[in-house]
Amino acid sequence: MLFGDHLLINKQYGGLMKKMLITALVSVFFAPFATAEVNVVSWGGAYTESQKLGYGDPFTAKTGIKLNWIDYSGGLSEVRAQAEAGNITYDIVDLFAKDTITGCDEGLLVEFDFDKDFPAAPDGTPASEDFFAPMPSDCAVGNILYSWNYAYNPNAFPGADSMPSTIGDFFDTEKFPGKRSIYTGAMSNLEIALVADGVSAGGVYDVLENQTGALDRAIGKFEALCNDPSGGCIFWSAGAQPPEFLASGEVVMSTGWNGRFFNAIVGEGTTIEQVWDGQVLDYEYFGLVANGPNPEEAMEALKYFTGTEGLAGSAKYIAYAPFRISSLDIIEANEPWYKDGKTEMLPQMPTAPDNTKNYILMNPEYWADNEVEVGEAWEAFKASL
Amino acid sequence: MSKILTTEGLPLEKSLKKVEQKNKFRAFLLVLPLLLFLIVAYVWPILNLLTRSVDNRLISDLLPQTAIALANWEGNEMPSEDIYKTFYLDLNEAHKQKLSGKVSTRLNYAKNGFKSLINKTRRKLKNFEDENYKDQFIDLNKKWGDIEYWQAMKVAMPKYTIDKYLGSVDLEKNYSGEIIQKPEKRRIHRTLWYRTFYVALGVTICCLLLAYPIAHLLSTLPLRYSNLLLICVLLPFWTSLLVRTSSWMILLQQQGVLNDILVYFKIVGDKSRLELMYNMTGTFVAMTQILLPFMVLPLYSVMKTIPPSLMRAGSSLGGTPFHSFRKIYFPLTYPGIGAGSLLVFILAIGYYITPALVGGASGTLISNRIAYHMKETLDWSMASAMGTMLLISVLVLYWLYNKILGIDNIKLG
Repeated sequence: MLFGDHLLINKQYGGLMKKMLITALVSVFFAPFATAEVNVVSWGGAYTESQKLGYGDPFTAKTGIKLNWIDYSGGLSEVRAQAEAGNITYDIVDLFAKDTITGCDEGLLVEFDFDKDFPAAPDGTPASEDFFAPMPSDCAVGNILYSWNYAYNPNAFPGADSMPSTIGDFFDTEKFPGKRSIYTGAMSNLEIALVADGVSAGGVYDVLENQTGALDRAIGKFEALCNDPSGGCIFWSAGAQPPEFLASGEVVMSTGWNGRFFNAIVGEGTTIEQVWDGQVLDYEYFGLVANGPNPEEAMEALKYFTGTEGLAGSAKYIAYAPFRISSLDIIEANEPWYKDGKTEMLPQMPTAPDNTKNYILMNPEYWADNEVEVGEAWEAFKASL
Repeated sequence: MSKILTTEGLPLEKSLKKVEQKNKFRAFLLVLPLLLFLIVAYVWPILNLLTRSVDNRLISDLLPQTAIALANWEGNEMPSEDIYKTFYLDLNEAHKQKLSGKVSTRLNYAKNGFKSLINKTRRKLKNFEDENYKDQFIDLNKKWGDIEYWQAMKVAMPKYTIDKYLGSVDLEKNYSGEIIQKPEKRRIHRTLWYRTFYVALGVTICCLLLAYPIAHLLSTLPLRYSNLLLICVLLPFWTSLLVRTSSWMILLQQQGVLNDILVYFKIVGDKSRLELMYNMTGTFVAMTQILLPFMVLPLYSVMKTIPPSLMRAGSSLGGTPFHSFRKIYFPLTYPGIGAGSLLVFILAIGYYITPALVGGASGTLISNRIAYHMKETLDWSMASAMGTMLLISVLVLYWLYNKILGIDNIKLG
């Protein structure tokens, strides 16, 4: 990080810094007594690592508030169970958009007063304008943009004239024979199937909601793929699985989260390739658990995490785009930003111009609405395999 | 006849009873902590689960007048202006108490689409004018003019309902109260129930076939060898379930150890590696191995008590080894077979983590579906209904076992 940035921020946040200094002093003084620890729940693996190194550890260094990183595999069941038992231990949870909607509806998450609760960009742009997109619910604060795209193992197609390059190729078992791995739920799968079947990326949800038979059409695409003797399907549920399946040769192609693929390719030197076509661009959010054990410290942490610097920090370790526009400036000014000191980060992101030529923008409302019925149809398809 | 009196002048009988009662009370005090623990940690959660599956009061509490109005509505033609007005008043009240979100989640379980419908509507409630509610609702969103949403709301209103149980066997209620099949594309639960019982039964049989010879060997070997062997049986017991499942994944995957060996010895071609995981085979193999000790131990404890002289007596009377085994040894091991089978079956029927990891799509069981509703949809009533059905089926099985074989016949060790 450049020294100049620090100076600028110091000037602007002079008042805040003073406050933080006091907080830090107080926390040093009362350290033996005040054991405030904020429990942050996230998806684990390379992703949690990026959060921990990007903004978790700096936050602890700055404020003395310890953070406990807890892994989970999504959903609100733990939060709800804790709320019903009256013993809430989670403070901050990293959530899908649809879960922030449900969490807000069920009163499990704290509603934010967005511009009041979250700091403005360094140039004074209010938080609500500095974030790429409006929040899906009042209980969400944006964290990253990521994408559900697919990757392949180039060694799996030694005789092919060309490597997979479109979303259609994912379903083309004639040209690219071999097993595929897809996400265990219907989310993101229906979308890519429709685009591969000729629906325009922008019109996917319109087709899903208004065309009769669209669901069957999407699922039918997978039925054909999974029942194909030269195809076949394995379902993944944890983000670490897709790169693993590809590296071990268990499958030839797999959908997955772009940051995990990036981590495998650049971080670990695995020979897999990502395809940027017809992928689903999605947002990830933080929610603050209502009546959590340490609401004040948690809010402090959340402010720091989702600040301009915080979000830029996590992008240093994984190829997910920061939700704040102002964070991109920090990355751009300091490229190569990746932790190895030689990889440029911006071209790796799901928001890079080269990667956004043909993408589907996730519609969380569709999933919050239709999860149950679509889920039943999807599970019925899986059970028929 | 005069009564025998104690030194205090009380009849001996009474005095003895008193002492006995005191002792009984003391004994009861000793088990009291355990009893309380059982009630708090076992009985109460199960009762809670049972009530949750039928308790549907929340929605009619949130929309009390609408519940009454819809109960009186036939359901075959569009609801009247009055119903729309009642609904508006109820929803507005719920919204003021910040509870309209709960209305939207509950109604969304009844019919998908309600969630965004209510969430979009509630933001506009304050702009409503005090007339023509029906038109205002439909102007806001054309779904409010769709009778299906009102029919679904009518079905969702009763305070207590068996809808979740119907749902767990792919049935549903329509607005006139008839029970109908779910659309064919969405029938999933019956398949999973059959599969769960099939897997549990299959695993029990596999375990029995594998465990019987092991247990026999254990009980006949000299002590120092049998102890070593017993440790081999118990070792997996002391290893974490997750570790064991993951090691099966390493062994069974297509690029895994087992396939590599088969390819190396040219038993299968490199192109046609066997699919041993992410299907039913994987579920069977991993679950059998994991549940094997539960079969070995009861069998072993029973076989240990069978005197070897019985088999010798059988032979001396002219029976072939097989005949003596079938007539003498095998019947004597029934209690062990019963105990082990019941144990393995009950454990297998609720198995969750192993099928989730190695089962793939075709190895998913009903417990994975329960987890799905707990985690993904937050429809805990549905999860409770399925959990209750699972519990009841185990109890029925236990009852059947008792009827046919007698439960005091069981021997666990």
